[in-house]
Amino acid sequence: MRRAARLVLLAVPAALAAVTASQAGAVAPKVPGVSNPAQARVDYIIKCQGCHRPDGSGDNHSNPPMNGFVAKFLGVPGGREFLVRVPGVATAALDDKRLTDLVNWTLYRFDAADVPPDFRPYTVEEVARLRMQPLRLERASLRADLVAKMDRRGTN
Amino acid sequence: MAGFDKITEKLSRSVARGTSRRSTLAWLGAAITGAAAFPVLPVARAANPHGGGDSGRVPVTSGLEQDPGDRTSCDYWRYCAIDGYLCTCCGGSVSTCPPGTEMSPITWIGTCTNPADNRAYIISYNDCCGTSDCGQCLCNRNENDRPPVRPQSNNDTNWCLGTQSNVYNCSTAVIVGVALEK
Repeated sequence: MRRAARLVLLAVPAALAAVTASQAGAVAPKVPGVSNPAQARVDYIIKCQGCHRPDGSGDNHSNPPMNGFVAKFLGVPGGREFLVRVPGVATAALDDKRLTDLVNWTLYRFDAADVPPDFRPYTVEEVARLRMQPLRLERASLRADLVAKMDRRGTN
Repeated sequence: MAGFDKITEKLSRSVARGTSRRSTLAWLGAAITGAAAFPVLPVARAANPHGGGDSGRVPVTSGLEQDPGDRTSCDYWRYCAIDGYLCTCCGGSVSTCPPGTEMSPITWIGTCTNPADNRAYIISYNDCCGTSDCGQCLCNRNENDRPPVRPQSNNDTNWCLGTQSNVYNCSTAVIVGVALEK
């Protein structure tokens, strides 16, 4: 009750208040490979949302869209490694455990439909190893290659 | 009157006898340098409030003890990581853009502690874009700002991205969530 009262009194726009309220009161749903979904959600807001936007839609210039797309990388060779080596993930100021939670959470939050049935969630050891080789400028061409592989796979 | 002249003459002569022109120049130089250095000291920010208080600007508050502070003042709690002009001073508010500008969907995100409940709130510093610098209430506090080699965590760069125009006008400070307790 006190929490609800404070949220109303904060007088933030209604939509934002709703976001806060759902976070404050909600029991976070279980997500495979995510030990702390509530923390993963907050980490997404703090570390990713500024550029990838609250709904993961991003844009087609500097912040590739993840919504309805990101898990497709898991279906092509090299895609699983790519998702952790992109600079925004590999260099995020989070420890390996929280980063692993965040990556697994992001896959199910923004593209659960494309997660392959045999997908094994990322492990902390795997993320720790992959993030030691962050991609730099080659990320754009590598991404284009992976997307081309997806397209070939889609038409076959 | 003659007596006054005499006193002045005596004083001047005693000063001239007792000091050298060089020492006077040295003393004067030190005083001028000292005066120039004074505004650099940390007291300068308190002496020149950014909006609110003594600035003559009308304070803008929520009127609620849960969200305390003057939103035209750089000291307002939500501005802890801001770098820019306060939209509250520019015809907008702490969460809306001035008329004629467009809010950037790509934002710098930080966390600030609300003094009312000591909890960390996640703040999105959406820039307002499309007309030139507002120029009112410059505020630069930069908590958790990182160097430009980490562009996603740096607030010196222009965050007017994803808008029709990338011309910067002012910054808002919107609450988007509550950070978890450590």
